[in-house]
Amino acid sequence: MTAGPNERTGATGAGTGAVFDIGYQRYTGIREGRNRARLAVYKDGVRNALGIGRETRAKVLPGLFIALLLVIAMGMAMAAGAAQRLIGPEGPSQLDLPSHSDYYGIASIIIFVFGAVVGPEMLCPDRRNGTINLYLVRPLTGSDYVLARWAAFVSVMSIVVWLPQLVLLVGLMMGGPDPFQYLSEHWLDLPRLLLSGTAMAAYTTTLALLTASFTTRRAYASVFLVGLFVITTPFTTGLASEIGGAAGQWISMFNLSNIPVHVNDLIFGEVSSVTSVAPARELSASILIGWYLLWTVVPGAVLWLRYRRMTP
Amino acid sequence: MTSATNALLTAEGLSKHYKDVVALDDVSFHVTEGITGILGENGAGKSTAIKIFLGLLRATDGTATVLGENVAENVLVRSRLGYMPEHDCLPTNVSAAEFLTHMAEVSGLPPLRARTRAADTLRHAGLFEERYRTMGGYSTGMKQRVKLAQALVHDPTMVFLDEPTAGLDPAGREEMLDLVRKTHREFGISVLFSSHLMADVERTCDRIIVLQAGRVVQSGAVEHFTSESETVFIEVDTNLDQLVVALEARGVAVSADGHGLAVQGPDASVYDLVRDALVEARAPLRRMAPRRRALTELFRRDDDASEGEVSS
Repeated sequence: MTAGPNERTGATGAGTGAVFDIGYQRYTGIREGRNRARLAVYKDGVRNALGIGRETRAKVLPGLFIALLLVIAMGMAMAAGAAQRLIGPEGPSQLDLPSHSDYYGIASIIIFVFGAVVGPEMLCPDRRNGTINLYLVRPLTGSDYVLARWAAFVSVMSIVVWLPQLVLLVGLMMGGPDPFQYLSEHWLDLPRLLLSGTAMAAYTTTLALLTASFTTRRAYASVFLVGLFVITTPFTTGLASEIGGAAGQWISMFNLSNIPVHVNDLIFGEVSSVTSVAPARELSASILIGWYLLWTVVPGAVLWLRYRRMTP
Repeated sequence: MTSATNALLTAEGLSKHYKDVVALDDVSFHVTEGITGILGENGAGKSTAIKIFLGLLRATDGTATVLGENVAENVLVRSRLGYMPEHDCLPTNVSAAEFLTHMAEVSGLPPLRARTRAADTLRHAGLFEERYRTMGGYSTGMKQRVKLAQALVHDPTMVFLDEPTAGLDPAGREEMLDLVRKTHREFGISVLFSSHLMADVERTCDRIIVLQAGRVVQSGAVEHFTSESETVFIEVDTNLDQLVVALEARGVAVSADGHGLAVQGPDASVYDLVRDALVEARAPLRRMAPRRRALTELFRRDDDASEGEVSS
């Protein structure tokens, strides 16, 4: 081998080895442009939300919430299994035990708190640290950035809401005498829970990211969102039952925790235990769906507008 | 003089107004290959100009093109540009290696190539050993190196450095200036370097554009500024007036400068004349040293200068 101009030979053992400093190498490979940039921001968003590749404490919160949601699903599956064994195949329905249609109603507050605590991680640190300056000078627009972050958190939220439902489905299948017969009788639950979970994920993500777009402090966004979800429930429930009538129904619509659960009820065709006491359940399907869309599409549009022309 | 057809970057009649504040006022210049410094006091319009070239701000009037493209209209050209902002822009909870890999992907590089480039660029920036540490624990000098590395990781054609020596101690500043020189001379990447420090620009750049109050007051090769900005500063214990008379009698231009005298002229023979004048005036010499012209003096002198262009 011929020694190059930048070759450095070892001080000892001459002739036994050589180290080559090849210097700076120009990049001559492919540049994949905007789609690669979007995908990179999306992947980074998923990693940030779940704490993947981050220090241990970043994994603790999402891990705890996912575990809690799984425990609820497993508890429901075990209760249904025990009822089937003790009473028979009709046991769960005789005892009116909660199932897929009830899960999101029961777990909604935990899902919302997860969204409130983890969602702001998508946007706040980039603006707080100034990293947004580096994104916006790359082949990426503000719209690309915020859509990629939104898609990342919707994906994470979808996994978070689907996973316990799938565990519940497997639990209910295994709890009965014939898992395949259960599946053939209840196969429609699968698309329903996926669709309902997507609606829940999109709603939570949009509100969480919109709030996060107004502050660089993740904690402020989280506290505001938790307050919004937790406080509106008793406030609107009490006021709606006090006033009653059509006005009570509309006041009940402002229970932010129930908005996607009403959609869940429409998808499953039955009222869940959480919304059974909400006067808004008596409103027509088109109003309930329109209300859901209003609370998802409008905040989404505001979020997009805030980032569309963002300058550092 | 190099024509604008060879320009990497061109400003034509560029203006930027923020309500009543004029940040850039009908600025025209072009920048060719090499290291070009934009010199100006705080608020002169340096960062505004850079942000317009990067497409982060829209000009009120005029056109700005980089690599023949208007960045605001074609974001893909940004995959050939690098930007090191003045302020903090680094996340604290990830390692430099992971961050650079991510930034390379956001610039359009495929993941495997991005990882290789990240390691190589960190090696060139002098951070190879520290690349797996989270950046929250980095010193200011190390953070500046990562900021430079992220601007270079995708091998841009041109890199914009906004006050790269800000916050560094003298040793760190020297190392950063070395890296900036290396960026062009070894890596072949052209540099637009903004600073308010004449010394930094003088020692690093091939050409200088001087901005004041949003206007180009001077531009040209760095030697032009260096040769014209040298003075000799003299401080004596007594007989200052007699020294002034003795110097003027020898045809040396003298002006008061604080407690001493500023003697104009880069010619080495001025030292002999000063020596003779000191002897004649019986003035005990306390200090004599060459001194660069202060940036404010340069601006004062060029108040009436008009816009110019940079040639290689």
